[in-house]
Amino acid sequence: MTPADDRDLPVLPAGLRERVLAASLRARDAGRPEPDAPLISPVEAFSRAASAFYAVLCFLDDEGWRTPVLRGLDVQGLVGHLIGVEEDVHRALAGDPAVADAEHVESTQATALDQAARRPAQTRTDWRRAVDRTLDLVRPADARPRVAVHGLRMPVGALLVVRAFELWTHENDIRQAVGWAPSVPDPSTLRLMTDLAARLLPHAGAALPEPVDVRLVLTGPGGGTWDVTMGGPSPAAPSGESPAAPPGESPAASPGPSPAAAAVAIVTDAVGFCRLAANRATPDDLDVDVTGDPARAAAVLAAATTLALD
Amino acid sequence: MLAARLAAGDDHALAEVFDALAHSVYGSALRVLGDTSAAQDVVQDVFVELWRHPGRYDPAAGTLRTYLAVLARHRAVDVVRSELRRVARQERSYRLTPAPLAVSAGDEALAAETAGLVRSAVQSLPASQRQVVELAYFEGLTCREVARAVGIPEGTAKSRLRLAMAKLEEMLDRQLLESS
Repeated sequence: MTPADDRDLPVLPAGLRERVLAASLRARDAGRPEPDAPLISPVEAFSRAASAFYAVLCFLDDEGWRTPVLRGLDVQGLVGHLIGVEEDVHRALAGDPAVADAEHVESTQATALDQAARRPAQTRTDWRRAVDRTLDLVRPADARPRVAVHGLRMPVGALLVVRAFELWTHENDIRQAVGWAPSVPDPSTLRLMTDLAARLLPHAGAALPEPVDVRLVLTGPGGGTWDVTMGGPSPAAPSGESPAAPPGESPAASPGPSPAAAAVAIVTDAVGFCRLAANRATPDDLDVDVTGDPARAAAVLAAATTLALD
Repeated sequence: MLAARLAAGDDHALAEVFDALAHSVYGSALRVLGDTSAAQDVVQDVFVELWRHPGRYDPAAGTLRTYLAVLARHRAVDVVRSELRRVARQERSYRLTPAPLAVSAGDEALAAETAGLVRSAVQSLPASQRQVVELAYFEGLTCREVARAVGIPEGTAKSRLRLAMAKLEEMLDRQLLESS
């Protein structure tokens, strides 16, 4: 970027760099994408993801419903699993401690297997009713109170974004199983998903041998920039809990790196990163631009796949 | 990739662009303006614009260096235009304001020249507008008094005065620009 004739250019006045960068960050916060997607509530994100999932179910024929898709389940069994998840969420919202540490797959397996004896339309209707019940329970509620389900302890709002993430992931499991093109969430929903995944990243870093300061730059609609530290001392919130700020409430970049940590910058596409965090893509599947130690960056990306509930 | 990083809010990308291209942007602005302070303001405007609206840069249309240089030149020319307008306004205001005291022969000559310019500009106005200008500015009447003297509603007097002043400004601007 520096041709020879740049030698004739004037010397920059002292302090100009600092002045220009400060003025720029006053005009637009670091971390915030431009254009930014309209902010929607976690309830709306969950509702949109549910609508997209329901639309897929409505287009499936009998053969589609019987297509093997995940963990030995066919599509109907997978929808049964999701009915079970909704039921556990209802219990969690009612304060039932029995579902707080229930295992995500195991606790819903019976409902998943029960679907084999039913007609697909019944399964679809039951799932839609279960989702509508969830929406009825959370719509009037404050998004901040914490709820405990399947080992997660987080504000209701964050849980709904996790659920939107899960529905989008399973919608694409089904699409792939029946040979349909993958879908991409709308930018507003995607922005909540990327924000949640980035903020949960420190909780996925326990396996890293040493602390790593990560600048995560997610490009495209729904993207943004986040600074997080992975590995080393445990994050402020206990394991399995969401970060302090609910998704979508604050700009992304956090103040500064930790002094002792190695630093890497990872630039990749927002949707690809969500597939990685859902454990539906490997780091090799992503088009990634890394600054810093490639081995550390690879370890960070590998750790991101452990965020998935499945 | 830089454009995508800027759009994603990566301020490190902005710093990288600054380090690589600020000299060129500053040089473009300085060539037009010839003033280091004004050129620094242009550099700031250009990078703030890039940061606020990264999507306006289209990599398919050219390099980022060219895009920023064009932005800098446009902004610098805007600064020059704006400065010319400011000087013209100042000059016009000076000429329309009667000098309290003519302190030198040069001032007297300028005052006489100004009076001639203004008088000739006023003479070229349509009669209805010329009448209200003369009453308001040369005889010192208020709008209400002008309206009463001419026998027209006050609103009509105001609008004639506005129209007349707009024409006078335009005529005097043209004369100033021609003389400079």
